[in-house]
Amino acid sequence: MSDFKLDMEVNGRRVSKHTAGHLRLLDFIRDELDLTGTKEGCGAGECGTCSVFVDGKLVKSCLMPVAKANGAKIETIEGLAGTGVLTPVQRAFHKTGASQCGYCIPGMVMAATSALRENPGASAEELKERLGGNICRCTGYTKIFEAVEIARDVIAGRVGTQALEPEGAGDSYIGNNVRRLDAPSKVSGRLRYAGDMTMPHMLHMQVLRSPHAHARIVSIDTSEAEAMPGVECVITADDVPGEDGFGVFVHDQPIMARGSVRYVGEGIAAVAAENVETARRALSKIHVAYEELPAIFDPEEAMQPGAPVIHEYASDNIVKHIPIRKGDVKKGFAEADLIVEETYQTQQVEHAYLEPEAGIAYVDHDDVVTVISPSQNITHHRHMLAKIIDKPINKVRFIMSPVGGGFGGKEDMIYQGMLALAAMKTHRPVRLVYTREESIISTAKRHPARITYKMGLKNDGKITAIQFHMVSDGGAYGMSTEGVMRKAAILSCGPYDVANVQIDTIGVYTNNTPSGAFRTFGAMQAQFATESHLDICAERLGLDPFEIRRINMMRDGAFTHTKQKLGSVSLDEVLTAAETSSGWEAGAPDMRGPARKDLGGPGTREPCSLGARFEASSGKSKRQVA
Amino acid sequence: MLTCDQYHMPQTLKEALVLWNNAPDGSRLVAGATDILPWAREGRAGDVHLPAMIDVTKVAELNGYKVADGRVRLGANVVFQQFLEDDTLREHLPCMPYCSVWFADDQIRQQATLAGNIVNASPAADGTPPVLAMNGEIELARLEGESVAVRTLAVQDFVQGPGRTALQPGEIITAVTCDSMAGYGGSFEKVGQRRSLVISAVCATALVMTDPAGQRLEDIRLAIGGIGPVPLRLADIEDKLRSKTISRELITEVSMQPPALVASRTRREYRRWVVRGFVQAAIEDALADAGHPIAPALPKEAEHV
Repeated sequence: MSDFKLDMEVNGRRVSKHTAGHLRLLDFIRDELDLTGTKEGCGAGECGTCSVFVDGKLVKSCLMPVAKANGAKIETIEGLAGTGVLTPVQRAFHKTGASQCGYCIPGMVMAATSALRENPGASAEELKERLGGNICRCTGYTKIFEAVEIARDVIAGRVGTQALEPEGAGDSYIGNNVRRLDAPSKVSGRLRYAGDMTMPHMLHMQVLRSPHAHARIVSIDTSEAEAMPGVECVITADDVPGEDGFGVFVHDQPIMARGSVRYVGEGIAAVAAENVETARRALSKIHVAYEELPAIFDPEEAMQPGAPVIHEYASDNIVKHIPIRKGDVKKGFAEADLIVEETYQTQQVEHAYLEPEAGIAYVDHDDVVTVISPSQNITHHRHMLAKIIDKPINKVRFIMSPVGGGFGGKEDMIYQGMLALAAMKTHRPVRLVYTREESIISTAKRHPARITYKMGLKNDGKITAIQFHMVSDGGAYGMSTEGVMRKAAILSCGPYDVANVQIDTIGVYTNNTPSGAFRTFGAMQAQFATESHLDICAERLGLDPFEIRRINMMRDGAFTHTKQKLGSVSLDEVLTAAETSSGWEAGAPDMRGPARKDLGGPGTREPCSLGARFEASSGKSKRQVA
Repeated sequence: MLTCDQYHMPQTLKEALVLWNNAPDGSRLVAGATDILPWAREGRAGDVHLPAMIDVTKVAELNGYKVADGRVRLGANVVFQQFLEDDTLREHLPCMPYCSVWFADDQIRQQATLAGNIVNASPAADGTPPVLAMNGEIELARLEGESVAVRTLAVQDFVQGPGRTALQPGEIITAVTCDSMAGYGGSFEKVGQRRSLVISAVCATALVMTDPAGQRLEDIRLAIGGIGPVPLRLADIEDKLRSKTISRELITEVSMQPPALVASRTRREYRRWVVRGFVQAAIEDALADAGHPIAPALPKEAEHV
């Protein structure tokens, strides 16, 4: 490997080291200097979490070979405030609550600092433009931009530093702008996520993943990989001492593929080695013989008789079917003046939290198997792992590291078991950090759904019956599918009082990437269908979309179709607020006046454009053209 | 993951050429390196090990720019951010700030070079259409015995197809030269899946010079990218507009022609729709940049009713 002598100044201190010249500046900063405030969110220059100053210019350190920074002055997030008071930008991020999961925040603070250094008077639009290279998945950016504007005004002296002070909780925490206790650790880059943690004598794990959607594993030969210098262990399903299987509702997923693979990206074997490079090279020395099996990718086809069976216990490929019946839908449709039937489809979605999966496992002095990871469900994981590794519960410990974005995607114990097994086999700490690509290919997604919606209505808009049939692709393993089907069934008809309903939600096994928990947990799919359907029905009946909802909405004391009594229902207030703030013109969805009052007004957003920085400097506006 | 046996950072062109000539097969020459690192990842090239990487960013002869005799000579190490921040470059290359602001993001523009963008020869390269429109040429250096020899190629002869150029083994791009367009209005249009950090589906650039009153087009340059294997100069449309009185009708009329040029293998229908609007928008935005905007035909909102 290329040896390179580096001399640089990092956060005001001289650094002189020999290193590999191809190493990314990001790796050098994190691994050699232990400055882990600079994060890796994607490794491909897309997310901005790795932004650092090199000779005063902000760059993405995942795109810079370290040799380029030889002789340069480097400034990282840790260098902004040093050990002193946080900078106005950092304090403003704290003030507005701009840091939520915090993983994008060091990069955001760096980009904001750069923007204000380049143009201390930058307008809100220009700030947005200059922060365009950084992604956040929690905030929706509003609080971040708000923070940068406060910082700009404080730095310019237009407002006093009291603008950075907390507002205080007052009498109640509800409705007041209460500061987050964890924000200083996030805006300063001091908070360590699992991938930032190191332990003495730590090994690095890499995972061999399936290239096939469905195949029988004929054999796995790990001998060549195990013989490599620097490789400490290779683990497969054969290393599981207890009862293998995890999942949120049904424990159908082995720690690593056992006998067969069911989706592209499924873990088959894992290597723990002295460094990541060796572990990656060892993966190519593991020889797996497969016998490909017919695979199925569509849930409707998976339910047909004779379809390939994905799990032996479920010969019909159904993970869970939730039926709900209320009243008499036949009677309800007979009473209807209008019956509308449509099919709605939603797609698979990746959570794309900025922190890819990561964890460290070790076996402590009392033989307690310990796993540190950003798990969203450590107690459940602890119980499952105890069974899998055949240990009493007091010999298994889970420590939850800061979660750099979860959104449901870190509820599943997809890699913690592998780490535990490797730690048990080597008696050394083992760390695994997913790449972004690995995170996307192998972790659970939002359930795609196909919903057939049949609704009967009277001419005055009153709904007489709903038939709701949802088929959802659960992917290769059960994970949260059952819960998602339950929630979708519960929320299927929206907040509307309907006398006759027939609901079926069906989660189905396929050879697609498993579906799991994702924000709303099945509600979004159902609401998309319900609310789209109501708009279509309103149009057919010539009714205002707000009106049709008010006619059917639940009121205080209503019972849902699952017999839950609702003490108070705020839907009317919500509808009024939406109607007012959108500037809605009363009328059916297809009846609009000559000028749309709901477009272009206050509270609406301009279409995306770029070039705010020129408008400031030249006084010219491209918008003059339009 | 990208690894290599040797990472060289030559200081002079001669040194770089010697290293490049003697580099083992499979070695790579890099400038910004913003493309090669994401390339060496899962889903693209996977883990890549190179015998040598030769990084030219410290080569003094490749830095900076010079304006002389109506031409601008941009050293191969000029990065996209310079087109936004350098007043002289903004004056002489008035379409480049708009091109740059749509290119990647503020961080990547600090590293990514125009020369690197052109030599990658992506059909969707943002940097190539403006250089085409400005009668760009590529300067290539090679070793001849002990001395350095240079040849120059028009950019349309240099870029030959997706990933294919006229670059010969042992050659290094030393500069991109183009016409000084001082006094022109410039524009750049781009559509992709999001605002920052996106590869163009289609991009277009225009440069216009009007008479002092803004009534007549003295000169116009048009080029478009993302519609086929290589970016194209729209010379026939330029001819239809040059020396003509500016009118919305004329611009709309000539903008109807480019969709026929769309030869992309994917999303062809979509690109045809985009191209029509783009040529028109590029001309109108360049006129606005020149200080002579055409009055809108209709209030904007009315068009969407």
